[in-house]
Order: sequence, then C-alpha cells, then structure tokens
Amino acid sequence: MECGRDAPAAAGTIRVSPTGTELVVTESSARRYALRDPDVRLMLEVRDDNAAAFEELMLRYQGRVVTVLEHATGNRDLAEDLAQDVFLRMYRARKRYVPGAKFSTWLFTIANNVALNALRSRARRHEVTLEGRESGPLGVRPLEAMIAASSGQIPARAIDKAEARDVVQMAIQGLNERQRMAVLLSKFEGMSYAEIAESMDLSVQAIKSLLSRARNNLREVLEPYLDRGQRPGSEVESQPAETEADSIRGEAEGD
Amino acid sequence: MLNDPYHAGTADELPPSEEQLVAYLDGELDDESSRSLEQRLATDSGLRSQLGRLERTWDMLDQLGRAEVGEAFTRTTIEMVALAAEQEQQQEEAERPVRRRRRLFVGAAGILASLAAGFLLVWALWPNPNRQLLEDLPVLERLDEYRQIDGIEFLELLHKRGVFAGEGDNDGV
Repeated sequence: MECGRDAPAAAGTIRVSPTGTELVVTESSARRYALRDPDVRLMLEVRDDNAAAFEELMLRYQGRVVTVLEHATGNRDLAEDLAQDVFLRMYRARKRYVPGAKFSTWLFTIANNVALNALRSRARRHEVTLEGRESGPLGVRPLEAMIAASSGQIPARAIDKAEARDVVQMAIQGLNERQRMAVLLSKFEGMSYAEIAESMDLSVQAIKSLLSRARNNLREVLEPYLDRGQRPGSEVESQPAETEADSIRGEAEGD
Repeated sequence: MLNDPYHAGTADELPPSEEQLVAYLDGELDDESSRSLEQRLATDSGLRSQLGRLERTWDMLDQLGRAEVGEAFTRTTIEMVALAAEQEQQQEEAERPVRRRRRLFVGAAGILASLAAGFLLVWALWPNPNRQLLEDLPVLERLDEYRQIDGIEFLELLHKRGVFAGEGDNDGV
C-alpha cells in the first residue's frame, strides 16, 4: 500500500492511496496504529529521515520479506533482488506514509506488488521457475501434471527433509500467483484474511476462496507423498484436474 | 444461512464446505459457526479425517523454512537506499532556485492583487465629497438668488404659477 496525501476529504480525515485504491483513514485511527504498533512508530521516524529507524526496520523485516519472495518466485537470488526493491520503495514512499494499517500489512502490500510484477514479467519471458531441477515434462500446468502423476504406483521410500522440501516447493510453485501469495502471507506472516485482503487489494471473500482452493490443491499433491511417498513424477496421465482458468474463475466468483 | 460461507451449518443441514473447514483452521470462522462445526466434528469421523488431512498438508509448508539473510544483503541494501537519498537531495537542490523564483512570483502577484482589491474596495466605499458637490452644482450656481428666498414653499408656489416655465424640472430644486 503506497500512501499518498491528497487534499483532505473532510475535516479530520486523511486520504491514503494504496496501489491505486483509495482509502480514508481518520486521524484517530492513524494515532491508534501508531500507539499499538512499534513498527509504525519506527516508520514515522523514517518519514522524518531517521536513518537508524530505517535500518532497524530493515533488520526486522529483511528475513521475512526474502522468505515470502523466495517461496513466491522459487528463486533465492531473484528474491533478494526483489526484497531490495521492496525496501527501496518503502524508503521512497516514506514522506507519504500515513498509518492506515499494521506496518507489516503495508510493507507486504509493496512486496506483493513487486512479486506479482516479477512473476508476470517472468511468465511473459517463459523463464523456468524451479531452481536446481532438471526440466521435466511437467508442461504448462505443473499442478495438473503433479496430481495426475501422483496417482501412479511408485514404491514408497523414506521421506527425508531435503526431498520433502523439494516436493513442497514444487507444490507451492504449482499454485497460481495469487493463491501462492495468499498461502505464503497466511503461513509465514500469520496474516488474517482481512490483512491479506488489504495487502493483495482483494475482498475478504476472495481471499477465503483463494486459500480454500490453494489448500485443496496442496493437499491433492502432498497427501500421496505423505501417505505413500509418491512424489510428483515425470509421467503424466490424462486425469482431470483443476486448471488455472478454473481456479481463477472460482476465485472471481468468490469476489 | 446455508449459503453463508461463514456459517458451518447444523447437523440437519449440508455438510460444511472445504472453505468453511479452512476458515475454521485459520481461526476465521465466527464463534457460532465454530461451535456448530465442533459439534459435527465430535460425531463425524469422516469430517475429522478431512480436517486432519488439510491440517497435515498445511503443516508440511514448514519444510520450506525461513530465509536467513546475510550481512552482504543488509549492507548492499543500505547502500542502495543511501544512494537514493543522495540523489533525492541533489534533485531538491537543483529545484530550489526554481521553487524560490516561483514563490517570489506568487508572492508578488499576491501583493499586487491585494493592493488592487484594496484600492477597489476603498474607491467603492469611501464617500467622495466631490460627488456631492457635483450633484449640488445647479443650486450652487444660483445660491445668491436662493438666499433671497425664505423657504421651499415659496419656490413651489412660484413653480406652480409657471414662473420657472421653460427651465428643467429638477433644475435647482
């Protein structure tokens, strides 16, 4: 949520413009966030050009931002580049900052926009998303392929941590961009549906639908692995699975 | 009520949707719906199993771990921001003369406008003694003659008798 200050709509209100959507934050609401959230107070000091406050905020959030971006993009180097972009945008927006939400919600709104821009740009360039893996015939719809392949008969094997991490990463990457970001914000940031909705500029109902579908998709891929050690293989059977279009359509109906 | 995604339903109604189960696991279901769902979970092993599977696969995301960020990242990020700050300052300094000229111009225009407005206000409201004199000029021109007359009634009498015939109606009256 990039904040902007326009002419006040009425006495006692401040207009905030997060990524094109305008909200009105009352002065009492802004004061309340400043009182309750120490990170908001730090950001207000950053607004007043306090370099130490900026560094403190960065140290508190850099790991969290890189975590979400790494799992969103599947690429650690890209995640660090994007995270630096996030902090740079945070700095540039400091003069217009008005506390209309928790600081983390505001920061992850910026992170969400940066991530989505990068993912869409990468999709247009048809880059490979998974690191350290040989490209397999998972095709354009890796989630479908994984679900289909997991129905095959593969001997069970011991689950080791690295393999589990790999499988989970593939399952995450199989989600569409919005599902993935909603899952990461929920899981790693512990955000409420309302906070995720604000960060992603969607309705709460849309977030409910997103998360429900995402968790169902994750379950369909991970359950066979948990139960029988069946990991997504290279063989694709022609079984129906939720397509990206179906997923997005379902999420739109949830709006 | 059945279509309310926040409502988990009662034993006699449709089973809770996966959306409701996920909302319950995320603590996003309202109290009434949560209680209703918990009542169903107590008696429905299939529902418990479904919930358990959702929870289990969600917990697997912990395998992803959290990123550790090195000092190099912190250092380079701060350097980037410091550079941005310096560029901002240079830009501000470059724009300062322009802003100063603009402020001077606006100030001067404001002063001129105030002076003009003040002049017009005074001109409109201040009584002009000359105006009164101009209005009274016809009387002043014959003041010596009018001094010979006692009152206005005598003049009206003369006017009625046509003594002033041929002269303007308001001339000197």
